[in-house]
Amino acid sequence: MTSATIKLDNVTKTFDGRVLAVDGVTLDIAAGEFFSLLGPSGCGKTTSLRMIAGFELPDSGRVHVAGRDITDLPVHKRDMGMVFQSYALFPHRTVAENVAFGLRMREVPKPDIARRVKAALAQVALTGLEDRKPGQLSGGQQQRVALARALVVEPPVLLCDEPLGALDRKLRQQMQFELKELQKRLGVTLVFVTHDQEEALAMSDRIAVMNHGKVEQVGAPTEIYERPRTRFVADFIGEINILEEGGRARALRPEKIRLVSDGARVSGTVDTANFLGGSTLLRVSIADGRSLLVRETHAGERASRLPGDAVGLAWNDADAVTLES
Amino acid sequence: MNVARNKQPFDAGRAAYLTLNGLLLTFLLAPIAIVLVFALNPTPYISFPPVGVSLRWFEKFFRTPEFTNALWLSLWIAGCVLVLSIVIGGACALALARGNLPGRSFLTAFFMSPLMLPAILTGLALFQSYLLAGIGRPVWGLIMAHTLVSVPYVIRTTLAVLHNFDRRIEEAAAVLGASPTRVFFEVTLPLIRPGVFAGGVFAFIVSFDQFPVSLFLVVPKGETLPVVLFNYMKFDLDGAIAAASMVSILLALSVVLVLERLIGLKAYVKL
Repeated sequence: MTSATIKLDNVTKTFDGRVLAVDGVTLDIAAGEFFSLLGPSGCGKTTSLRMIAGFELPDSGRVHVAGRDITDLPVHKRDMGMVFQSYALFPHRTVAENVAFGLRMREVPKPDIARRVKAALAQVALTGLEDRKPGQLSGGQQQRVALARALVVEPPVLLCDEPLGALDRKLRQQMQFELKELQKRLGVTLVFVTHDQEEALAMSDRIAVMNHGKVEQVGAPTEIYERPRTRFVADFIGEINILEEGGRARALRPEKIRLVSDGARVSGTVDTANFLGGSTLLRVSIADGRSLLVRETHAGERASRLPGDAVGLAWNDADAVTLES
Repeated sequence: MNVARNKQPFDAGRAAYLTLNGLLLTFLLAPIAIVLVFALNPTPYISFPPVGVSLRWFEKFFRTPEFTNALWLSLWIAGCVLVLSIVIGGACALALARGNLPGRSFLTAFFMSPLMLPAILTGLALFQSYLLAGIGRPVWGLIMAHTLVSVPYVIRTTLAVLHNFDRRIEEAAAVLGASPTRVFFEVTLPLIRPGVFAGGVFAFIVSFDQFPVSLFLVVPKGETLPVVLFNYMKFDLDGAIAAASMVSILLALSVVLVLERLIGLKAYVKL
């Protein structure tokens, strides 16, 4: 399967002439990359995706796919695949007809359609459900049909708008693995919109964290997590402590703080201790009414700290990341 | 123990619910039952209790050309109205729901307004307009009049379907390579069809049953069934009227059932 680069060049979009949904976004997505747009609702991630798909026209800026300017190309000529959160299957057509739709639009000969539909359904483990209607399938099955329908046309670009958002946790995790595996196997460029930071960290090659229509940071999951550039990114991804030191904000992950008896930087009292299975998240009150989150990982036995215990805290300077103001 | 547990305690709420529904159904269906009794009763005047069962009034109805001509005319008009209302009402509803038209709520109210005017007024107004325009009272004028009062039903049912329509489904088709025209015929139209046809059934019945509007617009020898029945009743009140009513009811019912079978009116329609 071919894959294509995607480039958003200083793209801006307002709605009703007032709300700035996307504000000067520039992104370079490599061919075959699993790229996530991550952010809270209303941050412009879905609008950005919809501009790549062609559902929205940017007010300014250009969209390029495979080096070609497609800003003014209508949706149906863009040759992309898309998976929606609501699945958006055709309720009046069978599973096989749903999957065949894109091939039919491309006027693929009938025998080829049958063969490719069969292969696509096998790829998402849905063989045998060809003649069902979408209404007769579970959410997970519908999502697989949507995926097969998008991929059967072998698009160089696959767009996913919160595709796993409607699934329960267990199924969602399973689909995360499957989608990632499928994407790597096919080599398709995948743009994945999500508000779920764990999902983005787990699946992506790179993530763009968005807020208020702007890209705050682009980077690999480890980079985003370990070296957040802005306070928003630090705060949005996982748990974080923001330290104010000499007018500068520094971000410190709870797991970088050690509980020590000697050489403590600060000392405090445990407020709450939330047992999370593999670790315990402590909130420790320190001086002047502030508190720090501390993650205590434990191998085997449960951590011993209880609310009310006095503890000493220490960390390495290098682990506290200076944030842009 | 087990036997005692199987006995349901008397549930006053449920009993009241069933009674109320029973009464409502009786209220709705009793007149039809009475008409059926009169249609089958052989006495030459409408009387109660019935003295027997015969099909003589049905025979009279079908042997009287005045009745049968009117029946065919009414059916033909209602058929035309069905088709016209579906096309016009469906297009209107799509424009109202999708068109981003300025003054949308005003336009919606405007298109629905024939439902709010007394039909007799609509009839009179059309009669005068046709007269002023020098059209006279042709059959197509009657069809237009019926369509006017039927279109709102199609608009209403189609808008209901469009309101619950997930537009992502159309977007999915577009991404897959369907041009706007193909999206319309492959996705939009099949999905709104149940709503359009549900309105079409109403349109058919509104036309087939139409009296006040028709009253002003029919010509002698070109009267629709309700008008013929009304005129007949002014002089005779025998079982033929009841037989005619039964024929009308059965025809309307079969149209509903046939459309239900063909299209599945229940699907997607929330009125």
